[in-house]
Amino acid sequence: MSEDVVFKGSRSGLQLIFDETVDFTSILKQLKTKLESAIDFFGKGTIVNVAIDKITKEQETELSILFQRYGLTLKAIDTSLPKVSELKSEEAAVEASKEITIIERTVRGGQEIISNGSVVILGNVNPGAKIIAGGNIDIKGTCRGLVHAGAFGDLTATITADKMLAMQIRIADLIARAPDNLETVDTTECARIKNGNIVIETVNRQEVC
Amino acid sequence: MSEIIVVTSGKGGVGKTTTTANLGVGFAARGKKVVLIDTDTGLRNLDLLLGLENRIMYDLIDVTEGRVPYKKALVRHKRHESLYLLPTSQTKDKSAVNSQQMNSLCNELIKDFDYVIIDCPAGIEQGFQTAISAADTAVVVTIPEISAVRDADKIIGELGRAEKDNIKLIVNRIRPDMVKKGDMLTMDDIDEILSIDCIGQIPDDELVVTSTNRGEPVITNPVSSAGKAYKNIVGRLCGENIPFMEIVPEGFFAKVKKIFKM
Repeated sequence: MSEDVVFKGSRSGLQLIFDETVDFTSILKQLKTKLESAIDFFGKGTIVNVAIDKITKEQETELSILFQRYGLTLKAIDTSLPKVSELKSEEAAVEASKEITIIERTVRGGQEIISNGSVVILGNVNPGAKIIAGGNIDIKGTCRGLVHAGAFGDLTATITADKMLAMQIRIADLIARAPDNLETVDTTECARIKNGNIVIETVNRQEVC
Repeated sequence: MSEIIVVTSGKGGVGKTTTTANLGVGFAARGKKVVLIDTDTGLRNLDLLLGLENRIMYDLIDVTEGRVPYKKALVRHKRHESLYLLPTSQTKDKSAVNSQQMNSLCNELIKDFDYVIIDCPAGIEQGFQTAISAADTAVVVTIPEISAVRDADKIIGELGRAEKDNIKLIVNRIRPDMVKKGDMLTMDDIDEILSIDCIGQIPDDELVVTSTNRGEPVITNPVSSAGKAYKNIVGRLCGENIPFMEIVPEGFFAKVKKIFKM
């Protein structure tokens, strides 16, 4: 029932998608419980796009008031002209990926961190946890969850972890999954896109930072 | 100082109720005044483990709905004078109690008791939210199995979301022979994922099953290794610094001793 509203990461940024056939007040209510439950942890100032032709002016103000309360920014975009807006928002995505969100705790199973910019985790990412970032992801600990860097199309995004045991690594629209017999390496590793594939190589922290 | 402790796990069957019963008896044996609250409405078991099933007159739902004062619903333990049980209903379900009712009940109980121990149902739904709402301390029980550890991780996350920061870990049913062979998660493996303060490592012990069936918590059994582990946990919860006992596979001599019930 509560799946009439979803946040979706797209090339142009985080997008709010809802079922237009459902009553708008019920949409607002669901959205509120979704934000309140805080399962999805959004970075402060995260920009959420919504298609302008799907909402009225009043609905837009209502949404932006609600979003403001949770530290989000609403942006109505015109999806009828995808070419132009995509170009613009791609620039915006690269711009936004310069912001850094720092999480000073272990991210546990079922928790989700979503940010337009880069994410630094001072702790472990446990199995079942999800990190979605527009920019890079750096984990000063063990990574066992699902990590998605460059979620809005940034092909240069990297994922670094002190101990990389991730279930799945996603960069932009590429997906790599862990081999079934995972061998552990005790050095810091970094995942990036090389020649259209995700490669993982050991790195020196000093060089990265 | 009084304390409200919730015993939780996420996964079912890892020993929440057994732990609750043993902690209750352990605190009572130290002369503390303890009340155990069963919140597993509809699937109540705690009364069985304490051997008090036939003495139940009223239940938690009667109290929270204001039909009787809580003192009327409390069941005193047969042997431990300072141990009480507040059983729950077997006919209702978890939606019969909410967090506010639980909070006001615990606030009343805490005035009269040294320890209020809440036995939490499995899962992360309303029953869990209700059970944890009033607690100061959460004890998370897990076993050295990947699924139980994964669920414990989720539960710790949920507890953090509810702003319960005092979280302790008990690892139950450790089989030293399997750990030695590398077939079971070790304490280090569990600590690496959960990274919270561990207050107990309980070996797998057949005596737990027999004592459960008899309605006498294993902590009262002086030969049981699990009983000893529970005693240590009670000490640690009282703030004592007790080193962890070494869990080693049972030797030949110990087995012979057990056969002759020495």
